[in-house]
Amino acid sequence: MVERSHIKDSFQAAIPIMLGYVAIGIPCGILCAAVGLNALQVFLFSALFYSGAGQFMIPNMYLSGSPLASILASVSLVNTRQMLYAASFAPACQNISKPLAFFFAATVTDESFGVSTRKFEEGDWSVDRALMLNLFSQSSWTISNVIGALVSGLIDIPLQIAAFAMTSIFICLLVTQKMTDANVVAIVCAMLGVFACKSFGLSGPAILIGALIGVAVAFAYASIKAKGRPSGGGEALPSDQDGMRTSGKGETHPSNEGEVRP
Amino acid sequence: MSWEEFWITLIVCGLTMLACRVLPLFLLKGKDLPENLNRALGFIPPAAFAALVANDLLAPDMFAGGFWPAAAPLAATICVVVVALKTRSLLWSAVTGVAAYALLLLI
Repeated sequence: MVERSHIKDSFQAAIPIMLGYVAIGIPCGILCAAVGLNALQVFLFSALFYSGAGQFMIPNMYLSGSPLASILASVSLVNTRQMLYAASFAPACQNISKPLAFFFAATVTDESFGVSTRKFEEGDWSVDRALMLNLFSQSSWTISNVIGALVSGLIDIPLQIAAFAMTSIFICLLVTQKMTDANVVAIVCAMLGVFACKSFGLSGPAILIGALIGVAVAFAYASIKAKGRPSGGGEALPSDQDGMRTSGKGETHPSNEGEVRP
Repeated sequence: MSWEEFWITLIVCGLTMLACRVLPLFLLKGKDLPENLNRALGFIPPAAFAALVANDLLAPDMFAGGFWPAAAPLAATICVVVVALKTRSLLWSAVTGVAAYALLLLI
């Protein structure tokens, strides 16, 4: 069923995420213990909810005295960005079984989305490997959180610095994107969108709205560019030069070759 | 946090999270995706990474607490960008980022 080599691939790809999750998972468990959650509760949060941002927000808002309803609303709003990841993986999941697609999608995080997206672009990657990458990451997150809850009060990890491990992973994923002009438009507009959202006090959905703005503007840019071509054909083929390379990205994106292998 | 509050939080957050994670995939799965949609989906990775980075590094009031607390992560970012472009390694990027940020905060 699951090939040994796939497990190895997944584990190797998961190492940066797993180490990052140790660095922020332990402080997260410590914080959860500070609002009276025990190791079992921290385990259940990590196993069934599995959200770094969410599991930091819940105890933080609780400590600051926010009502439960506003905690639930804020956390849910922050997690709406996950919809983008699910949509982005849809082409890769076209020909796989429903249970595999379900478990894969249900365990995607910001970091594993990033790593699997890059792996799919590089080729030699498949949804079963992506699922195992998710599970390795989640194991690391869960164990670290439980350790944090158990040792709370004994150690202190400077969270601000530890969390920069995640930021660094996102930076690496960002700067190693193909810098076509349409992608650069997406990047700049998404960043401006996030900043604008925060300026208007919409920090909860900032990532989702910012990213959607980036996607929309880049899409409009690529469409206008395709129409403006002198070829006169209207429907530009994605295989031609310069800026239109981005339109071909959907195809280089996962074709899940790995899945059809015996 | 009481057990009751815990269960409410876990169930509500868990379910909304699961819906966000799974529903879009199953809405699109098994359908022939039009070329336009495919093209739009292809812009999600750069836009999402940019949004995540911007969310971590930028805020309208970031310099309110003084120049260095906000500038240190930006300076560390430059180190990460250099290492990321040179090595393409997530691990080295993360190690560089944490080390650079920690050293810069010591200054």
